[in-house]
Amino acid sequence: MVAVLNKEAILSLAEKAVKVGLQKGASEAEAFAYDGKATSVGIERGQITKANHIVDRGLGVRIQVNKAIGFSYTNIIDKEEAVEDIIGKALAAARASRPDKNWRGLPEKKPYAPITNIFDSKILELRPEDLIDLSTRMLDAAQGDKRVFPIEGGAGAGYSSTAVVNSNNVCVFEAGTMVECSLATLAKEGNTVTPVCFEFNAQRNLNVDPEWVGREAARLPLSSLKTKRVDTKNYKVIFTQFALQELFYYTLINSVKADSVERLQSPFKDKLGTKVGSEVVNIIDDGLLPGGLRTSAFDGEGVPRQKTPVIEKGFLKNFLYDNYTAQKHGKESTGNASRAGYLSTPNIEATNFHVLPGTKSPEGLVGEVEDGLVVSYLQGAHSSNPVSGEFSVVAAPAWRICKGKIDYATRGVMLAGNIFELLKNVVAVASNDRMMGQLVAPWLLVENVRVIGK
Amino acid sequence: MKDLLKKVTSIATEKFNALYAEARAQSLSKTMFTMKEGRVEAAKQGTENGVALRVLVNGAWGFASVGSFNAEIMSEAVSSACAMAKTAGIRMKTPIKLSAIKSIEDQVHIKAKKNPAEISVEEKIETASTLSRVALRGDKRVKSCTVDYMDLAGSSYFGNSEGAYIEQDKLYVWSRATASALQNGVYTFSREEIGSTAGYEIFDVETPDALGEKLAKRAVIQLNAKAPKGGVFPVLLGPNVVGVFVHEAFGHLAEADLALAGGVLSQNLGRKIGSDLVTFFDDGTLDNAFGSFKYDDEGTPSQKTLLIKDGVVVGLMHNRETAQRFNAQPTGNARAEDFHVEPIIRMRNTYMAPRDQNFEELLEGIKFGYFLKSFRGGQANLDGTFQVGIQEAYEVVNGELGESVRDASMSGNTLETLLKVDAVGKDFQMNAGRCGKGQTVFIGDGGPHIRVSEVTIGGSS
Repeated sequence: MVAVLNKEAILSLAEKAVKVGLQKGASEAEAFAYDGKATSVGIERGQITKANHIVDRGLGVRIQVNKAIGFSYTNIIDKEEAVEDIIGKALAAARASRPDKNWRGLPEKKPYAPITNIFDSKILELRPEDLIDLSTRMLDAAQGDKRVFPIEGGAGAGYSSTAVVNSNNVCVFEAGTMVECSLATLAKEGNTVTPVCFEFNAQRNLNVDPEWVGREAARLPLSSLKTKRVDTKNYKVIFTQFALQELFYYTLINSVKADSVERLQSPFKDKLGTKVGSEVVNIIDDGLLPGGLRTSAFDGEGVPRQKTPVIEKGFLKNFLYDNYTAQKHGKESTGNASRAGYLSTPNIEATNFHVLPGTKSPEGLVGEVEDGLVVSYLQGAHSSNPVSGEFSVVAAPAWRICKGKIDYATRGVMLAGNIFELLKNVVAVASNDRMMGQLVAPWLLVENVRVIGK
Repeated sequence: MKDLLKKVTSIATEKFNALYAEARAQSLSKTMFTMKEGRVEAAKQGTENGVALRVLVNGAWGFASVGSFNAEIMSEAVSSACAMAKTAGIRMKTPIKLSAIKSIEDQVHIKAKKNPAEISVEEKIETASTLSRVALRGDKRVKSCTVDYMDLAGSSYFGNSEGAYIEQDKLYVWSRATASALQNGVYTFSREEIGSTAGYEIFDVETPDALGEKLAKRAVIQLNAKAPKGGVFPVLLGPNVVGVFVHEAFGHLAEADLALAGGVLSQNLGRKIGSDLVTFFDDGTLDNAFGSFKYDDEGTPSQKTLLIKDGVVVGLMHNRETAQRFNAQPTGNARAEDFHVEPIIRMRNTYMAPRDQNFEELLEGIKFGYFLKSFRGGQANLDGTFQVGIQEAYEVVNGELGESVRDASMSGNTLETLLKVDAVGKDFQMNAGRCGKGQTVFIGDGGPHIRVSEVTIGGSS
């Protein structure tokens, strides 16, 4: 199939776009070039049914004319006229747009920190047969018990490379790899169907554990077959990483973005340096985390990634900035400009949003709870209020803790509360740090969580 | 394009013994921008061209996607898809088969009254700007307004090894606006979303002035709203919430792939699971609706599919693969977001049929409960648990609307809740939305006002 572009080819494409942009009348120009491929095999309803191969590449160009910004992108880059064509469109878009008096300029060139463990050539060499093998091992590990029903999942390997070049001498390239396997399951017994449970393992190097994914994906639904009702009241709740990832993405992470703060969309406005969480809460946005799923040397506009303390011992330390918002406020970008590929302009987003682990084992955390719940999967976190942090979600399922032991599962209970209150009510942090994607976190024990029983 | 697609699919059948092969090309242009408090972040114009190749070899699917219409690259890609399918089929226990359909040759052209491609970017920016200005000018407590705009125009080309060839124009105009308000440390948030397959004339119906006012008004009302009680209550659902309720509480379970995956409807086909008042359709033929199209991405004509009639489950949404498994007919629900992904079963315009009650009659039956007027998001689960987050709600006390309530959500289990639909209104309204199932597609949903005697309200007070 189509071979990946090498560093020189992708950089020269981006350099050409910047050069043509300036020649055609742009005051500033920036090119973001992307090249990626992904191979995956898919499981549907208990068997491997498909294999996919996707090649995606493209070029996005952002230009400034009279302080108005235009952007254009294309995924057809093999044609001679492609660059001229998108520069023309970006210029037309800028001329149709309106000047922004706060525009100061594209980022300047800065040194990059060394990055480790985001590329593994062994992943590039994986064949579909190897992914079949990973999937089969995962399925076999999940299928011991006839009540378990693997719905969908599979294994995939991906390569992606990006280049950012701008008219302020930024000129960078980076390539990364990822391999992952995942399985969604439910359990059935008689007329009882459990909610969908999900497990996965994603790594930047070829170090995945498909058997573990399969075993866990089977254990979770089996343990939620038999359920009992729970009463409506306030409980101590252990949130696992799946629940935290959903809740934080739709609430807390928005509130630490500098543009949300500036636009009065964050209760953290005027709260820098004040206590916003309990003293056990420590969060770093770590764009340099070794092997992190969101780790890279530079962000979507070529600014160096960095480690930004967000909350230290409960005190709010920093907000996350891209270049535009930082310049507007006389600050430095924290390297948090993110792009959803070549077809998007930069937006502020967290990198590896790392809730630092504590020292207690997960079992130890459960052992501390007299009467509470463990909540893994949430339904409806995306319908939280992204500004006020109010959430009202279903735990699907949750497990009741009685006297320090997980006792039974419960289904359909709702949790209602506010993320900023929740941060203040964190009483303990476990040691089981885990990379989920954007979130890196251990389990958290939170007191006083409103649970509406069913 | 026809000859090219034919040539590529014939490589699969002739060289690799594929049982079936399809090639789906797209050529699309998009215009997009985000406006924050009247400031355009960046006006964007883009091109997304490419081809998806899907083959069935030895009972397994192989798929390849490339951003090119070059014959050589496409030939390589289809060969790779065939090799992938062969590998995938090694351990196949239940080989995939497809139900037969008539092979169609057709060309579908859209004639928009106001083609977005012929409207200047300046005018599009001015429309968004009006919306933003109206939202921010009325009440000083409204602090921010974000407007996202997107239009997409182009063509898709579908050809398969059975001789089908369909060219279809694509046209979508979409916008989402959000506003936030602040007063004494209370933060509120409000959103509106519109979309159409007709053209830019959507803004003559959903005017930027009206959208801006609605957006701001909701954000302000919420400032003095109270938290809902948590527990089981009767509710009156507005059409905007009914649409999402139908989509989440029933629609996903009626997607045949999810029914096969163990969803609760698989045991309930032909059974009564709702009250006599419950009739749901998934309809791809509604004029101008956001989820309408003439042919799906397997070349099956779109149709109006009856899913549940007077409370009895009568149909599911199928692609060719699930139709074969259920011994049913494909319903035209196979949709792919773009050429990077394969078609899967998706909803189109999913709605509840109206009955005969007026708004006051629906309210009358509620002693204490909630009127859930507008939604923020929803999510389904295969065990029948649904959740719908609410952005605008009011208490109902003794049959009358009471105080405003913020950030509520409702939940229940489909198999219990549909039986508790005890009154259905005679009005009707459709909404435009987007649905995520690994891929995002444009959909519509809607219905009348309805009353449900019991749902769980996730409230913190």
